[in-house]
This record gives sequence, structure tokens and C-alpha cells, in this order.
Amino acid sequence: MKRYDLVIVGAGPSGLSAAIEAAKRGMEVIIFDENEKPGGQLFKQIHKFFGSKEHHAKIRGFKIGQELLKEANELGVEVVLNATVIGLYDDKEITVKIGDGINHYKGDAVIVATGAAENMVTFPGWTLPGVIGAGAAQTMMNLHGIKPGNKVLMLGSGNVGLVVSFQLMQAGCEVVALVDAAPRVGGYGVHAAKVARCGVPFYLSHTIKEVEGDEFVTGVTINQVDSSFIPIPDTEKHFDVDTVCMAVGLSPMSQLLKMAGCEMEDNPKRGGQVPIIDDYGRTSVPGIIAAGDVSGIEEASSAMIEGRMAGICAAEYLGYCTKEELEENLKILEDDLESLRQGMFAPKNRGKLIEKTEEGIDISTNLLEKGYISEKEIERYPGVTHKVGIHPVIECTQNIPCNPCQDACKKGCISIGANITNLPIVKTEGNCINCGMCVASCSGQAIFLVDEDTGDGSSTVTMPYEFIPLPEVGDKGFGLNRKGEKICEAEVVSVRAVKAFDHTNLLTIKVPKEYAMKARFFKALA
Amino acid sequence: MGKVIDRNIDIGPFVPAPDDDMLICRCEEVTKGEIRKAVHDGMWTMTEIRRYLRSGMGLCQGQTCSRLVKGIVARELGVSPADLEPATARSPMRPIEMKIFGCEEVDA
Amino acid sequence: MSNKADVVIVGGGVIGCATAYYLSKKGKSVIVLEGSENIGNGGSSRNGGGVRQSGRDPRELPLAMYGIEKLWPHLSEELGVDCEYHKEGNLRLGKTKKHLDILQGLTDRAVACGLDVRMVDAKEVKEINPFLSDEVIGASWCPTDGHANPMVTTLAYYRKARMQGVRFLTGEKVISLKKVKGRVKKVITENNVYEGDYVLVAAGYESREILATVGVDVPMHQELLECLVTEAEPHMFNQMLGTAEADFYGHQTEHGSFVFGGSSGLELNNKDIGVKNSPSNTSITAPCICRGIMKYFPSLEDAKIVRTWAGYVDTSQDGVPVLGEVDEVPGLIIACAFTGHGFGIAPAVGEQLAMLITDGTTAIDLSPLRYDRFKAKI
Repeated sequence: MKRYDLVIVGAGPSGLSAAIEAAKRGMEVIIFDENEKPGGQLFKQIHKFFGSKEHHAKIRGFKIGQELLKEANELGVEVVLNATVIGLYDDKEITVKIGDGINHYKGDAVIVATGAAENMVTFPGWTLPGVIGAGAAQTMMNLHGIKPGNKVLMLGSGNVGLVVSFQLMQAGCEVVALVDAAPRVGGYGVHAAKVARCGVPFYLSHTIKEVEGDEFVTGVTINQVDSSFIPIPDTEKHFDVDTVCMAVGLSPMSQLLKMAGCEMEDNPKRGGQVPIIDDYGRTSVPGIIAAGDVSGIEEASSAMIEGRMAGICAAEYLGYCTKEELEENLKILEDDLESLRQGMFAPKNRGKLIEKTEEGIDISTNLLEKGYISEKEIERYPGVTHKVGIHPVIECTQNIPCNPCQDACKKGCISIGANITNLPIVKTEGNCINCGMCVASCSGQAIFLVDEDTGDGSSTVTMPYEFIPLPEVGDKGFGLNRKGEKICEAEVVSVRAVKAFDHTNLLTIKVPKEYAMKARFFKALA
Repeated sequence: MGKVIDRNIDIGPFVPAPDDDMLICRCEEVTKGEIRKAVHDGMWTMTEIRRYLRSGMGLCQGQTCSRLVKGIVARELGVSPADLEPATARSPMRPIEMKIFGCEEVDA
Repeated sequence: MSNKADVVIVGGGVIGCATAYYLSKKGKSVIVLEGSENIGNGGSSRNGGGVRQSGRDPRELPLAMYGIEKLWPHLSEELGVDCEYHKEGNLRLGKTKKHLDILQGLTDRAVACGLDVRMVDAKEVKEINPFLSDEVIGASWCPTDGHANPMVTTLAYYRKARMQGVRFLTGEKVISLKKVKGRVKKVITENNVYEGDYVLVAAGYESREILATVGVDVPMHQELLECLVTEAEPHMFNQMLGTAEADFYGHQTEHGSFVFGGSSGLELNNKDIGVKNSPSNTSITAPCICRGIMKYFPSLEDAKIVRTWAGYVDTSQDGVPVLGEVDEVPGLIIACAFTGHGFGIAPAVGEQLAMLITDGTTAIDLSPLRYDRFKAKI
């Protein structure tokens, strides 16, 4: 039986990060993953990440995956794909299905980084073909290039529901509605806003009454619910759809840890059955460490930090680094993790209604309830200022741990400060040169470059545009407001697609002057 | 957990509900009504429910339904889902053909 | 609710639940104390479901035959739950001359006890079960053997007993028994004290520790065996199966899945890491069982295994259970050390113990299974 210093189960963000840290310290590391491609969820995450430089901010998920994989390979980590771990037995023995047989391995240390599985909710018709998980939709689109359906209703307004809704539209699907039983949008406001301005109606305090169809989904009926989630009579709305997508949370896939005899708990805050761990993922079984979603649902950025912690813990456990080195590194990573866990979406704020930003500004209720900020509300945020000539307008209104825009601007227009969750401030004394870097760097697609008065009764609005076909200069169409309604005629005056923008194209439209602060999306004439 | 549970406490009668015929465990085709009825038959733990009805014992081994079943059982008993014991975890973590399971590579 | 009853049963497995059911049917008040969280947590839910007489020791064969004749045929109807009982025979398979010799010996002994069992040749065995490999050259055939669903049967007894007013407590681990004025009376748990005119100890291997508190010992040890179950397959056959070599045993369930049990040969010394409520599997046993099965049923090679599990067999010194009253501790009844045969005879055991407690007599002579039968070899 082959024995390794460290066996890692799962080649997702946390598993790969753990492998890198362990291998860096001289450990012999092998990773098993049941998928044909490594990277876990990263490889279907085509959107740019939030955070700071340390958190790989503004880099797209799949690129982060490629970088991690490259680094692991360079360090000599063996990554075995199509390798299903079927059991974690006593003495840290792992059996793995590879090809047509079972292989036995032992690890002196084992890191379990198996991630999570999608939750489902039930309603009549939930077992019909066409009712799918949002993660499944993402896999179909982004890994296999398959369009999940034509007309889709999304259930769930968390970040997954919002991000996947956007991706569905990028893949050419029509998203007919975004539904959530909660009274407020669960995910980042900027994600909601970019979906809403494409014209997707948000139905908060609504749930699916039933999905219709004999052999497959042909329609869905939703209804409104009261504050106790009881359906309110006569509030039904029907949509013709062929797909219903569920983004209703994840459950840790912690079975291996349970099988290995790790002490477990059912912790709703961490998403379900999770191992009891210390701050760095060490379970009750010495040498077995958990990292990533398997130990509590968060997101890829924190999974990577947890993975690194786990890798260093494994190294220290087997004498590949000193206790001092361990503590020093854990301290840095802990601070990193802590900075990710700040802001109004921090784990500690889950379920809380936050009414004011850290700056004391009222949160947009329209954003929480309808997915977009009203024209009245938008003026109160520090990213929205006015001056003559081109200037950035940053519609970032919630405290989230993210700051690439500050670094993107070399001309002193944008300031966040040391506190990563601060709202960005657009300074009127800045000297905007229309470079567009801020627009492309914003993972939330919340930055616009606006010239409120070009002198001919018009204004120009530059917006991020990640759809195909990319409009061309001279194309005519409509300006859409934040709700996705056609509000004025518009003409494309500039299209910028440069490498530095990393596939976030910049579309500049000309609209009548009075729509400078209203038009936020473009729809070409059919 | 580890608590003494008196299995004769009155949890009230089984009251049929309109969605009782909704499938919960897709692999083994167990309905919501069957699960609720089993609770009234005295099956008060996830393990007993599973053994009585086969829910969560099919191809996906409860990956999809165990959370749903837990919610139904908890509601019927009037407890929090976290009070019910989690499912056991057994090898193989994924279904595996007998010929592959029986083929152990000795030189790995 | 009162902590006193006519009978206190320690152990909520199939034996405890069945006895509780038959006692309550006879009008006795009963309390069942189960130490774990689940009814039927031990061998009751972990066995292969065999309901058979062939291969049984003559000392317990009468119980097996009685149950199959009198109780099993009507059990589902009586309990109101389908226990998936099939009385469609048991094949004990042989592949070599040596195997056939073993089977012949077993057959001769069973016939002497009046059991309908006979040897069948290669041709007949394939007629009974056409899915067997050509390696099988003969078998012993007992047409009245069969199988049932052990998990459902245990829970069905529990359900019906509970409906008849038996009080069940789970998570109530018994620490000791206590005699009062010469008779066993008190059952002491971590939190409570229960009293019964009779106390039945049917707590598997843990019985030994509990019985020690009133100075009684049952010589037994535990062996950690394993089972596996496949996904549902099209219906193939209804017989119970075993082999002369004991490499596996099992059956196809009504649901379509195959449940097979077996061993790696290391069972006496297997380690259990002690995960709560679930003895641990080893990494080598299930593959070994698979190889065993495929030698007899090559066509099952593509059947997918969805789950494996382990369970303790509480093996008595001489391979048959310990059953009945304890002379020096009046009121104490023992039912343990079933050595892997407990499920099939559970209805008979439950019914006979209920009769013993209620009427002071039994229809089947239990004396060969007494607790005090163990003697030094010289």
C-alpha cells in the first residue's frame, strides 16, 4: 500500500491551496478528485472575484483555478483525476476507485476538502425533468457548453442565484423571474443590480407553488408568502418556462469525515452536518483536517485561505515546519480570512437586517426588495458624485470586502481607504482620463463612466458589457434603466475590448442628457 | 443526542395533508405522507425512518433527500432538525460496480 | 408515566421488541429500555435477513422450525406491516467435492432432527436458480427456509407493541440490575430506576456486563462482520443463499436489491474505531465479499454496491444462544449470544419467552440453551 505524507481529497480551491502549502514545505502530497477536471467549483466560475489582491480579486474563478493547479504541479503535487475516494478508514487509509479497480493508500495526514452539494426544496413537480440546481446549470453551461434551457425561472436570490441568473443570460437563456421566499435579496446588491438592469423581475416574498408539466417542465406558478412564509391566497403568477433553477443553499459533503470517526455536529449556521474543528480545520482525529465548504459553507475565496491553513497544519503535524512558523503563518492567514468575513454579508451578520452602511447611510430598500436602486436613492452614496466632464459613477452601496477599483484608478478619482469594506468614494478633484480600468476591474459591474453633458444635449454612459454579440459602434437601440425598462433611444459610440479589461468589454452609449444618471444598460434594436 | 426519549409521548394524530403524495426520496420513491405516517408509527429517528421506508438508501445515499426528510420528521415531532441525529456515512461514497469493488490493485 | 411494569425488557432489538409484543398481547404491562438512540440498533438491523433451519444446531433447530411453521407465515398480517417474508427455500452451495462433503454432513444432521432438507446435484441446483455459475456442482436444499427484511420486521414488532401500550424508552442505558428480597426487581439506568416482576435481558453483547451486576455470566465474544447492498436489480430469484465455504450469504430483496453478508477471515481481530451507533467497516472486507459473490453469480458483476455496513455477531462459546430463566436469580430471563442466528428465530423466541413469563412453561424445550451449560473440557 502506497503511503504519502499527505493525502488530500478534493482538488477544488481549498484542496489545491492546501497541497501548495504542504508541498512548499517538502511534503509528498497526492490529491484525488472524482471529476475529470481539477479546480472544483472554480472552473465554472466565469465571473470576477471580489476581495483584495491577496484574495485574487478581479480575477475570474477559472483563472484562479488554473493558477493554483499550475503552482501545485510545479511543486510536484500528484493530482489524480477521475479518482473517486470511496472510503476513509481507520489508520487514515483511503480507498480510491481509479479505472476499473480499487486502490488503497495511506496518508500520515489527510485533508478532506470535498466541498458541498446543492440543496433542494420541494413543491409539486419538483422531480420533473427541467427542475435543476443552479450549480448543475453552471456545470452544463460553463464546463460543457450546454444551454440548460430557453426560459428559466430562478429560485433563490443569494449570490449563487444572482450570479447564475446572469450567466444564464450570458448563455442566451431568458430569465423570466428571480424568486425568493425571503423578503429581501440575499446576495450582494451589485450582483442583483446587474441582473435587474437586464430586465429580470425580482419576486421577493414569493415561492413556487407548483411546477407544471407531464413529462418535463412546461410552466411554473409562484405565489406571495407572508412573513411566516404562508402563501397568501389569490397572489398566483404563472410563467411559461422550460427550466426551473434552484439556488437554495449548499450542504457540506462531510460523509468521509464522519466515516473516519471525526466528531460531527449539525450546525445550521455552517450549512448542515460538519466536523467539529478548531480555528484552522483540525478535526477531533489527529492528522485529519477539513478545509473549504466541507467544514462550513462559505465561498471560494475563504476556501482557499482555509486550504492554506490546513496545508500548513498538516506540515506542522508531521514536522515539516516548526510550531513558530505555523503560528506566524496562521496569524497572517487568519487576518486575511477575517478581512473577507467583514461587511454586511459577514457570517456573523447572516439573517440580520442591516439598515445602514458602516458610514451611516441608509441601505437602499429598493435594492433589497426589487434588486435595483431607485433613482432617488442612488444620489446618497459616496460613489455617486457629479462634475463636468467624464467621471466615474460607482453604484456600490453595501459594505463588502472588495477594493480593486481603488487600485485600478491611477488618477486619484476613487478612494476606499484602509478598511476594505468601506464604500468607494468618487472624488470630484480626481482627474478622470476615461481609461476604463475601474469599470473593468469591478467584479460587481457597478462602475460607469458618465459624461453628463457632452454639449449637444446628450450625455455618454460607459458600462461593462459581457454579452455576445458585442454591439458595434453606430448600433442603435435603447437605454435601459436600473430596472431594465427601455427609457430612451441610445446609440453605441464606442466599444472597447482590450486585454487589460479581461473580457469585460466597455460599451459607451450616447443618450439624451436627462438620462445620464438613469440609463445603465443597452439593448440593441431587434 | 444521548437523551432519554420516551417513545410513548403523544405527538397527536396523523393528519393527512394535500401534498402527502409528493415524492421526497426520488431514488426510493418515498413520499412525504409515508414519512409523516412513519413518524406516527413510532419512527422517531432518521435511522429508524431510513430502515422502515428505505428513504435515503438508494443510489444517491440521501445526498438529495436527507435534509428534506429531516425537516419533515422534525416538523412532525415538533423539534428542531438539528436535534435529530445525522445520517451515518458508509463506504462506498459513490455507487460502485461489484466487479470494480472486488478488484483491488495490490501494487498501488 | 409509571416506571413499574410486569416485565422490564433490557434491549430494544428484535428479541426485545418481539417479546414485548407477545407479552402485551397476553395482557402484560411491559417497559423496554434501549440504550442507543434507535430501536433495533444492533444485530437486528445489520444481519442478512435469513429465516432458516438448515445448518442450525439441533439444540436450536426446534425453535427455528417452530417459528417457520407457526409464526412467520402470518407475521406481516399480524403486525400490519409487510415484513417481506419469503419462504422459498435455502440453497447452500458447493463448488468442490470437499464442499459437498460438508453439506452432506449438515444435511444428515438436519434430517435426523426431522427437517426437510436434501442434497441436489448440479443440474437441479441450476433448475432452482438458473443464475448460478457452472462452478457450482451441488447444494443442500431446504425448501421451507427463506428470508425477510430484518429492519422492517424489528420496527414492525416495535410499532405493534407500542400500539398495544408497551412503553419504549431509547437512550436509556442500563447500568445494573438489583435483587430485592431474593428476586430480581430493579433495573437501574443512568437517570432512572425501573421495576419489574420479571426482567428480560436481551441486550446483545452488552448483556454480559449487565448480567454481571447480579453475578451471572454468559461466555461470548464479538465478531465484526460486514454486509453490503446493491442498487435495485430486476427480479432474479427468491431463495436464501449460503455456501459451504461460508464466503458469503444473502438474498435478493423484494425491492430488487441484493443483500449479501460475508467476511474477510480477519473478523476475530478486526478493529472498530467506535463511531457512535455504527461499528466500522474495514477496507478489505467488502471487496472480498464481492469476489466471493461473483464466483457464484458472475452476472451480478455490474450490480452497483450502494452501501456497506458492519455489525457485531455475539458469538457464544458453543455457537448456540443462551435463553431462559436463571435459577439463582428468580425473575431474571436471559436472551442473548445469538451467534448470528437471532433474527430468524426471533418470533419464536419472543413468543416462547412471553409464554414462559406468563404461563411458566414453553411449547419448545429451551433447556439445551440454558445459561449454566458451559463446563470445563476435562
